[in-house]
Amino acid sequence: MYNTLKTLCLIPSVSGRETAVSAKLSEIISPYADSVFTDNMGNLIAKKEGKGENKKKIMLCAHMDEIGFLVTYIQDNGFIRVSSVGGISLVAAYAAGVVSEKGVHGIVICESGVKSSDFSADKFIIDIGAKNKKDAERRVKIGDFFVVEPSLRRLTSSRVSGRPLDDRVGCAVLISIAEALSEKELAHDVYYVFSVQEEVGCRGAKPASFAIAPDYALIYDVTGTGDAEGAKPMACSVGKGAAIKIKDSSVICHREVVEMLTEIAKEKKIPYQHEILTYGGTDTSSVQMTGMGCKAGALSIPTRYIHTQNELCDLNDAKACADLTVEFINQLK
Amino acid sequence: MELKELIFSLCSLMTVSSFEEGSFDELKRLLNNDFDEIKQDAVGNIILLRKCNKENPPKILVDTHFDEIGMMVTDVKEGGFLSVTSIGGLDRSILQASDVVIYGKEKLRGVIASTPPHLRGSGDSDKTVPIDELLIDTGYSKEEICELVPIGSAVGFAPRYTELLDGCIAGKSFDDKACAAVALHALSKISADELAGDVYLVLSCHEETVRIGGIAPAAFSLDPDYAMVIDVNFARTPDTPKAETLELKGGVSIAHSPITDRRLTLMTEELCRSKDIKFARVAAPSTTGTNTPALNLVGRGVPTVDIGLPIKSMHTYNEILNLEDAETLGALLREFVCSNEIKEAFAE
Repeated sequence: MYNTLKTLCLIPSVSGRETAVSAKLSEIISPYADSVFTDNMGNLIAKKEGKGENKKKIMLCAHMDEIGFLVTYIQDNGFIRVSSVGGISLVAAYAAGVVSEKGVHGIVICESGVKSSDFSADKFIIDIGAKNKKDAERRVKIGDFFVVEPSLRRLTSSRVSGRPLDDRVGCAVLISIAEALSEKELAHDVYYVFSVQEEVGCRGAKPASFAIAPDYALIYDVTGTGDAEGAKPMACSVGKGAAIKIKDSSVICHREVVEMLTEIAKEKKIPYQHEILTYGGTDTSSVQMTGMGCKAGALSIPTRYIHTQNELCDLNDAKACADLTVEFINQLK
Repeated sequence: MELKELIFSLCSLMTVSSFEEGSFDELKRLLNNDFDEIKQDAVGNIILLRKCNKENPPKILVDTHFDEIGMMVTDVKEGGFLSVTSIGGLDRSILQASDVVIYGKEKLRGVIASTPPHLRGSGDSDKTVPIDELLIDTGYSKEEICELVPIGSAVGFAPRYTELLDGCIAGKSFDDKACAAVALHALSKISADELAGDVYLVLSCHEETVRIGGIAPAAFSLDPDYAMVIDVNFARTPDTPKAETLELKGGVSIAHSPITDRRLTLMTEELCRSKDIKFARVAAPSTTGTNTPALNLVGRGVPTVDIGLPIKSMHTYNEILNLEDAETLGALLREFVCSNEIKEAFAE
């Protein structure tokens, strides 16, 4: 999973500009699916047909966009003004290297004299080393996107850090599920959805789930943990298994899905924990209430330092999410 | 069943958001075949149908949400104390020392712990304790409670109802199950011939917790011609602003808002005038805090009128309503679903 994850992390994919990572995901998942297509909004949807009578539609979804910066204005001195796309941690991003969708490198800094507690995107500037406005405009245009430079490294045999684990690790889990199911004859239709624009309001998953109209949906994303120093108390830790979401601030998952996942994890001895996140949201809420609605749940990958350039997770947790899903699909009546 | 009894019975069910389906069977027992169909959808809405037995009937949606505010267990602390998070907009100032029921593998009673005022830090005595610092005491040890109460279990207020003077009653989750009780009661008393269309009563889920609740998928699948959303509204007390409140015993509220249908709203007011049904206009300048905005935008959009039942002490375990207002609401609902004028105006 590490190599797939690294490949996916290194392709910038700010909300609204997901085509490059979408093309790579399409290439990777094609051998494992019966059909792959991109919808009008940009969601990548791969489908594996089920052969059962009374087959259900199961939608598995991870978002392929990430947070970043959008160029809003280029100053006479060549400094670039930006607005943030999604909830970027400005304190973490301060003085980090950034790269534009066209491969232009720069540094993101704040106007001098601003205390970190007063950081806001309108006080942030990208310095690409340009001599002046004209020089800058040769390489960067208003409307270009920048991301904090992507990276991924192993900290231990299973723990990795870098960005954007949110949510390429979810995408990697989906790929791993697709691979595991590829040779099997399935009872149900399985849709792998790589959604766009999650970071700016869980938008892409809505039209995708409207079009698919699934009976069941599982969403894969990172979640906060209670095991970082000084973290808000929360019974969820890195390395303790797939986090079966019960609730976050945008959704309460369907009880049948939560209970079924829990029973399967117990029975198959797949490491699991329960997640109740008192802040933040995921595509789960969008998918649950779109169209006629569906039985929605989520499997989260516990991650520390979310929305910084050094997110940290344990690939064993990601593997547990994949294993649990494969069993869920096998056992669903 | 008498209306007051039905309110108490329905409000006593545990329907903390996302746990609504646990009460489905008990609900069915309360209904004694008054409806032609009753079903549950994928997200947890309970949908009841009363057919009008006419050809090509219009579809009328009546929404009362069935979920209630409450809490969810997030962790078990040393000594067997339970930590919780809120489900819906609980009034946190009333939580300490309140009686609760924990719906784990068994039903357990508990009390939310309260630090004695003598032991609070100076200046802290008036502060509201954040929800994640509250602890529920059940008397069990940590080992025992871990067995009985899995993380994610629901916690609700203990159901207890008091009759006050002059037709007032007090208790938990009148928001919005008192309205659901009124709707069930009123609809069961109308004959099929009187109905202007097929009436779908949606006891909707997840209203208290998310921006777009369960009503959206229900309305999408039903595709109704017009709708009435019934929720509670603020009854006036000396401490509340006049502009945002209603007199108790002043009848129901009718919201004027960009997200409600103007014509349907005016026709409903006209109906009230012609049938001597007490109502008060309320202004909801941008939106209503109810399911109406969801109906406004679902599918091709549903023309909606937004009706409120005044209650005091909203989002506590002692909400107060007056039965006269509840009767008024029932009378309006009856006239609304039987109105041929409204049917003519909105049926396709």
